[in-house]
Amino acid sequence: MKKALAILMVACLAVPAFAQSGGTIKLGGTWPLGDITGKQGSMAAQQAVDEINAAGGVLGRKLELIVIDDELKADKGAAAVEKLVTVDGVDALIGGMASGVALGQIPAMKKYGKIVIATGAASYKVEEALGPDANWYFHLHPWDYNQGASYAQGWDEIQKKYPAVKIRKIFLAYEEGAFGKSSFDATKVLFGADKRYSIDGASFKSAALGGGDYGAVLEAAKEFKPDLFLWAGYDADALPMLEQAKAMKFTPGIYLGAPPGWPVDFGASKLSDNVMLYGMWAPSINDVSKVSKAFYNGFVAKYKVEPATYFAPLSYSAVYIYADAVKRAGTTETAAVIKALEATKYASPLGETITFTPSNIIKHQGIKNQKILQWQNGRQEVIWPFEAATAKPVYPFPKWK
Amino acid sequence: MVNKRKTTLVVALIAAAAVIILAWRPTVLIYGLQAAGLYASIAVPMGLILGIVHIVNLAHGEFLMVAAYATYLLCKSLGIDPYLALLPVTAVTAGLGFVVYKLTIRQTLKAPELNQLILTFGLGISMTQIANLLFTSQTRKLSFDYVSASIDIGELSFGVYNFVFLGAALLMVVGLRWYLTRTTAGKAAVAVGQNPRGAAIVGIDVDRTYGFVFAMATALVGMMGAMLITRSAVFPTVGSPYTMKSFCLVAMAGIGNIPGILGASILLGVSENLLKAFRGLRGWADIVFFVLIITVILGRSIRGKKA
Repeated sequence: MKKALAILMVACLAVPAFAQSGGTIKLGGTWPLGDITGKQGSMAAQQAVDEINAAGGVLGRKLELIVIDDELKADKGAAAVEKLVTVDGVDALIGGMASGVALGQIPAMKKYGKIVIATGAASYKVEEALGPDANWYFHLHPWDYNQGASYAQGWDEIQKKYPAVKIRKIFLAYEEGAFGKSSFDATKVLFGADKRYSIDGASFKSAALGGGDYGAVLEAAKEFKPDLFLWAGYDADALPMLEQAKAMKFTPGIYLGAPPGWPVDFGASKLSDNVMLYGMWAPSINDVSKVSKAFYNGFVAKYKVEPATYFAPLSYSAVYIYADAVKRAGTTETAAVIKALEATKYASPLGETITFTPSNIIKHQGIKNQKILQWQNGRQEVIWPFEAATAKPVYPFPKWK
Repeated sequence: MVNKRKTTLVVALIAAAAVIILAWRPTVLIYGLQAAGLYASIAVPMGLILGIVHIVNLAHGEFLMVAAYATYLLCKSLGIDPYLALLPVTAVTAGLGFVVYKLTIRQTLKAPELNQLILTFGLGISMTQIANLLFTSQTRKLSFDYVSASIDIGELSFGVYNFVFLGAALLMVVGLRWYLTRTTAGKAAVAVGQNPRGAAIVGIDVDRTYGFVFAMATALVGMMGAMLITRSAVFPTVGSPYTMKSFCLVAMAGIGNIPGILGASILLGVSENLLKAFRGLRGWADIVFFVLIITVILGRSIRGKKA
C-alpha cells in the first residue's frame, strides 16, 4: 500500500514537469476586437496557429493563442499584457493595432522583457517610448515616417515609369482630428520640402465623427486644380465623398484615398473604379504570391468571409515568424529566440519577404514600405512597388459621366 | 404695430443677408439649406417627444442607426431602393419605439428626470454595442446614381439631392402641425403635453397617448434612417452625433415649437457653411453651433425676465 502511494506521489510530481517541457507554446495576443482590424487580425493569427498545429506544431509542441480585447484603450491593453504574462504565462506577445494602446503597454512589456511581435503601432512616438534597448521588440508594421517616405518614392518611380503621369500640384483633404492633421503635416514635409510639388489642403469633419459634408473642402480642391487629390479620413467618408465629388464634377488627375480601412463592398460601387489607395495587402496579391493565396484561401475556408484588412495577413505573419524562430532556435528561451528572429527571412502573404533591420531607434523593424494600389473593376490592384504589381495604373482619373 | 415692424425688419435683414451670400458665394446658402434640412428632419421627432412626453431621448440617434441598418439589410438582400424600404422600416421602428416605451420609459415617467436620462443613455449605448457585435465597426454604404444629381449654373456645379432632406423636414413640420391642431388625437396629445393630469381628468388616456407619440416619433426617425443611408455610410455610431445636435436644436427653438426647429436648423446650417467658406475658420463650425444656442437661450431668458 505504502509503495503504491509513493508511486502515485512521484507520478503527481512528475505531471507539472511534463506539462512544462511538452505542453503548449503560448502566444498572448491583444487586439481591439470591436474593430475590424483587430477582429480579423486575431482571426488570422488563430488561423496560423491552427495551420501550424495541423502540421505537427513546433518542436513537437502545440501552439496556443490566448486573445484579450484591448478595446482600443491604453489601460486595457496594459492590463492585458500583465495578465498574459503573469497569469497565463505566455512565451511571447503578438498583435496590437493602435499606437495609443501600444504606448500604454510599453511599461509592462519593458518590465517582463517578453518577445513582442507587434502588428500595429505606426506612430514614431511608440518607437521613442521603446528606446534603443528594447531588443525583444519586433515591429512588423512600418513606422509613420517609413510610410511617408515610401509614398514619395512610389510616386517618383511611377512618374519615371509612366511619363504620362505628371504630378505637380497636390491637394490634401484631411479630417480635422489628429490623424488627418498629422497626415497633412507629413505630406507638406515630404512633398513640399524641395519645392518640386505645390501643396495645398483643407480640413473636413469626418462622417465617422458626425460630419459628412464635403462641399466646402471639395470646392477648395476644385479651385486648386490638383494633379493628385488625396483625402485622409475614415472609411465612412469614402463613398459619400466620391458622390459629392461626382455631383460637383470634380475630377483630379489622381483621386487617392488613405483611410485605415474601406467600407464593406466598396469595390462593388461603380464610383470606386480608378480610385487609388495606400495599403499593404489586397486579395489581388494572390495572383503574384502563393503564400498570399494560401493565407487567403485558408481564411475564407475557415471563416467564410474575405480578409478585409491588411492586419489579417500581418497577424498571420506574426505567428509564422515566431513559430519559425522557435523552430530554428530549438527552444522557447527568450535570448535564443531573439537571435533566431534576427535571422528571419519570411516570405509573407503581404507580397514581400520580411526581415528585421534597424529603424531610426529600434533594432528590429520588419516592413518599411507601403504599397500604392488602385481600385480596378472592383479589385484592389497593386500599382507600386513594381515587383509586386498586379496591374498598370489607369491615369488620369476619368471624367464623371 | 411694434411687433409687426420688428418682424418686417427681421425678414428684410434675413433677405438682405441671403442676397449678399448668394452674390458672394452661392454654395454657402445651397449647402447651408441642405444641411439644415437634414438637421431639422432628424430633430423634429425629438422635439415631438420632448414637447409631449417630456423625455429627453438620448437614444434618439441610435433609433436612427437601427433604422439605417434595417434599411441597408433590406436593400442589400432584396436589391430594392431605400425609398421602397422606407415603409416597412418605418413600421418596424414604430413598433420598436412602442415596445421600448412600454417596457422601459413608461416605468420611469414618474421618476426623477435624471433616471430618464440615464435610462435612455443606457438604451443608446446598448443599441450601439449590439450593432458593433453584429456588424463590427466596418462601415457599409450603398451607392445610388440619383445621389450625385447636380445642376450646372455657369462655372458652378453643385449637388441637388440633399434638398430632399429639406423637403422631408418641411413635410414633417406641416404634417405634424396639421395633426396636432386639426385632429382629435393630435389635440389630445397637445393637451397631454401641456397638462397630463388635467388631460387625464377629462378622460384622455395619457399612457396610450405617450406610447402613441413615442411610436410616431420613432417612426419618423426610422423614416429618416432609411433616407440617411442614401447619403451616409452605416456604422454603429452613425446616429450618435445627431442626438446632441437634435437636442440643441430643440432647445434653441424652444420646447414644443416644432416649426422653430426648422428655423434654428436653417440658422445653424447656413452659419456653419458660412464659416466653412473661410479656410481659417473651418474648425470653428462646431463652436458656432454652441455659440448660437447659448446666445438664443440667454436672449430668451433675458427677455423673459424683462417681461
